[in-house]
Amino acid sequence: MTRHVLHQLPLWVEGDLDAAGMAAVDRHLAQCPDCASAAGALRASQDLLREAMVSPFTTADRERLRGRVLAQVRVEASTKPTRRLIPRPALLAVGAATLLFTVILWRQEPTVAIPEPRPAPTAPQPPPEPPPAVAFQRGPLPLRIRESAATPGKTTLPAIPTRIEFQTADPTIRIIWLAQSNPLPDTTPSMEETL
Amino acid sequence: MDEGLASLPEAPADDPLAPLLQRILGGEVEAFEDLVARTESRVLALAWRMLGDRHLAEDAAQETYLRVFRSLRTFRVGERFEAWLVRITVNVCRDLARKRGPLPVPLHVMEGLPTDSAPLDAEETTLLRQRRALVQQALASLPQAERAALVLRDLEGLSTEEAARILGVRPVTVRSQAASARAKVQAFCARLLHPHGGRP
Repeated sequence: MTRHVLHQLPLWVEGDLDAAGMAAVDRHLAQCPDCASAAGALRASQDLLREAMVSPFTTADRERLRGRVLAQVRVEASTKPTRRLIPRPALLAVGAATLLFTVILWRQEPTVAIPEPRPAPTAPQPPPEPPPAVAFQRGPLPLRIRESAATPGKTTLPAIPTRIEFQTADPTIRIIWLAQSNPLPDTTPSMEETL
Repeated sequence: MDEGLASLPEAPADDPLAPLLQRILGGEVEAFEDLVARTESRVLALAWRMLGDRHLAEDAAQETYLRVFRSLRTFRVGERFEAWLVRITVNVCRDLARKRGPLPVPLHVMEGLPTDSAPLDAEETTLLRQRRALVQQALASLPQAERAALVLRDLEGLSTEEAARILGVRPVTVRSQAASARAKVQAFCARLLHPHGGRP
């Protein structure tokens, strides 16, 4: 005798097994009284389920429902619908475009003037003229960018040593940043230049 | 029982309700009455089977038709209207069932039910009523997902694939949930109809 099929009966009873599975269960039920009894009980339960769950609603119930539904529908149909000046798809498109534009702006690098590369100076450059003193102001400090050394042929920002100078309100204090990804060449101390 | 046994092909060649839908979309509110009249039996029965409560089922049916009326313009041409209607009904019933919470299962009410061994002719009607109450309590004891699978698959007569589309799950899930529900209903009824452990 094949193995019992009790766990397959809830699928078998409504034909939810594949053809081979259904045939296997049928063969087993033909020779196993225990499983056949369980299958009969499950079938009876399914019959009872269908009998018990017959709709209890009468014609009067349905008419009452129809009346309630139609009364509400007529009220909703009679109220003038609010017309949109701009249809919803257009609103969605405008919103998506605005969002996209904002994201693009946000992701953009800040615009920095990249100086053209030029050969590195062979001789030490004289210190630059000190910038004129700037009076204290709340706005952005004056910014000056110049290169201290350059690598010919490379135009990307990190490869070019860039010198960024801020003149503070105090004319004796200047902040100088040197920025590059490669090791810096010989740089002159900033204090020497400021003094 | 005429409601609930028609299959729901997803894209039929011609939907018998399509002309009615065109009239409603054209602004003919009276056509909506015809639509309700032609589908209300199914909607009411489905809502009652899902919820197990007549008054709640009537509320669910009303809410279903209002949702249909409000969103009829979103109905996709080519889809079977009744499949769409069943989907809305199931969603409304889920919402109401969630608000209501699980139904209590008063087992003590069922204790002492007369068994098949000694039915009296005079009591057949009462016995039948008690059996119906028993099955309804068995359904009420099921988890909502299993109940929905059982109702759509075994009582509404939908295929596993159709039920899965409506419930938004995979067919294998519906198959498993329905099988589990069948076993639980059978065990529930056997325990109460044959409380002394005899096999039914």
